[in-house]
Amino acid sequence: MQAHHARALLLLALTAGFGYLAGRDFGSMHRPDRIIPGSGVTQQTTLSRYSPHLLGASGETPVYILEGKKPGGTLAILGGVHPNEAAGFLSCAVIVEHAAVLQGRLIVIPQASWGGYTCTDPMEAYPQQYAIPLGEGERTFRYGSRGMNPVDQWPDPLVYLHYPSGQQLSGIETRNLNRCFPGRPDGTYTERVAHAIQQMLQSEDVDIAVDLHEAAPEYPVINTIVAHERGMEIAASAVLSLELEDLQYTLERSPVRFRGLSHREWGDATDAYAFLMETGNIMQGRLRGATSPELLLTGVDPMYLKAARIGMVKIPYDSTGVPLNVRVGRHLQGLRALVEGYNALHPERPIGITQLPSYAECVTSGIGAFLNAPEADPSSTSGEDQ
Amino acid sequence: MTTYPKIVALVIVLAVLSRACLLAQVKPRFEKPILLTSAGQSADVTIASTLLKKAQIESTVKSLAQPADLAGIRTLVIVAGYSSKGLGAAGISRDEEMARVKALLAAAAKAGVRVLTMHLGGAARRGNQSDDFNRVAAEAATYLLVVKGGNEDQFFGDIARSKKIPIDVVDKISSAVVPLQAVIP
Repeated sequence: MQAHHARALLLLALTAGFGYLAGRDFGSMHRPDRIIPGSGVTQQTTLSRYSPHLLGASGETPVYILEGKKPGGTLAILGGVHPNEAAGFLSCAVIVEHAAVLQGRLIVIPQASWGGYTCTDPMEAYPQQYAIPLGEGERTFRYGSRGMNPVDQWPDPLVYLHYPSGQQLSGIETRNLNRCFPGRPDGTYTERVAHAIQQMLQSEDVDIAVDLHEAAPEYPVINTIVAHERGMEIAASAVLSLELEDLQYTLERSPVRFRGLSHREWGDATDAYAFLMETGNIMQGRLRGATSPELLLTGVDPMYLKAARIGMVKIPYDSTGVPLNVRVGRHLQGLRALVEGYNALHPERPIGITQLPSYAECVTSGIGAFLNAPEADPSSTSGEDQ
Repeated sequence: MTTYPKIVALVIVLAVLSRACLLAQVKPRFEKPILLTSAGQSADVTIASTLLKKAQIESTVKSLAQPADLAGIRTLVIVAGYSSKGLGAAGISRDEEMARVKALLAAAAKAGVRVLTMHLGGAARRGNQSDDFNRVAAEAATYLLVVKGGNEDQFFGDIARSKKIPIDVVDKISSAVVPLQAVIP
């Protein structure tokens, strides 16, 4: 064998080796996150139950149902519509693993954009995984991308035409679930997922539906509740209730002409009061420095400290950052406030949730305190009643 | 100058100052019926509606109130603060909203309708986009009710001082109920 043949074979072997390692790394993103349902979960299914067009597709995300012994209203909570907004997913995980329902029902979809959890956004330097510390040990979850994986839906058009309005958006938005509602059963993969969620809200007779999100600190609609016009009274009541807990929220009306958004399409096409909540996630900010799992957990970034000093940040920001515990706590407290507002308006069909951690509990104990260790007995956990 | 004229001058000055202080502290009274609207289309108008309900004060809410809606109205409560989502929800542009607010305030002044301006959104409803609406609504007010977070730089305090408008600054939105009950008995 000549020397250049040996070098070629070596290079080929190295390439194959790197290819294998990279492939294994990419493949690991397809291993589902483990959610360990608590004793409050009474039923578990997948999204294809509401739309057979998703059967066998990677849109078959888990759906958890927590049903109380007494009949009442139904609250649907969606996390992970944007898989790079971790607080929404983790809020749902805490609910599934820790909460229980006394009256009515909770339907929880922690990872609505299931396909978006199998990749990250190019050029963003996002980590593939992050770990939440428990009392002992830790739990690891995937950090996904804003849109669905192009593997499931490719190529993107130059211009995305929303169905059925015909509204034109940038082509990449065709994989953004929160631009694709109400969807259609025979549409793109993202439209089929949107359609299934819409079907779920209708067929389960959902009274109140909440979509949990995060946004960059320089985005003006942040620490916000966005409400469909039918839900404005409930949302206003929630904002006042949250203020009593020293949590500042702004209230925004869902735009009528901007189609495809959850709060708009759910509110228009179903009987549910539709809301979306935003917290501030430094990981999504354009001004951030090094992007790491630690940044996701702490929300402390020196560039944002400078930005805050010159008034470029739309939320209170100092050296304590905006930790994930705070963001999940805000979502959970926001959910409590919306349920309170709904119950005040509909005492004939109330929703009663127990063991839903408060904002203060999330901040003082950390959200890991409300996630189950793999070997733990979930029924031994406790919390504050609502 | 002898002592006697000095005393007279001092008494006059004190009287003028006392009168000014008295005027500044005297809160106006607003009568019903009440029309509640927005200046800038923020959803804070819904929060104001909730506050009025908590205060057991009846009002008619029209986010896009027009001059014709002032017929029979004695008090216009206007909630200041810009929202791009709110303008989108209303389907109007920023310029159209500003024209509506100015026309409404002009009609209120002409009809003798008293204006109570509220700013509830704190720092989030301040800045370039909001402050045009905040200024127009505040300068036309008979009384200002402002949440502290929106007045850290004395934006509303300065308007109140320069225009001699009574103002109450409250720490929290929910604290606005008591002053509302005081001025709308």
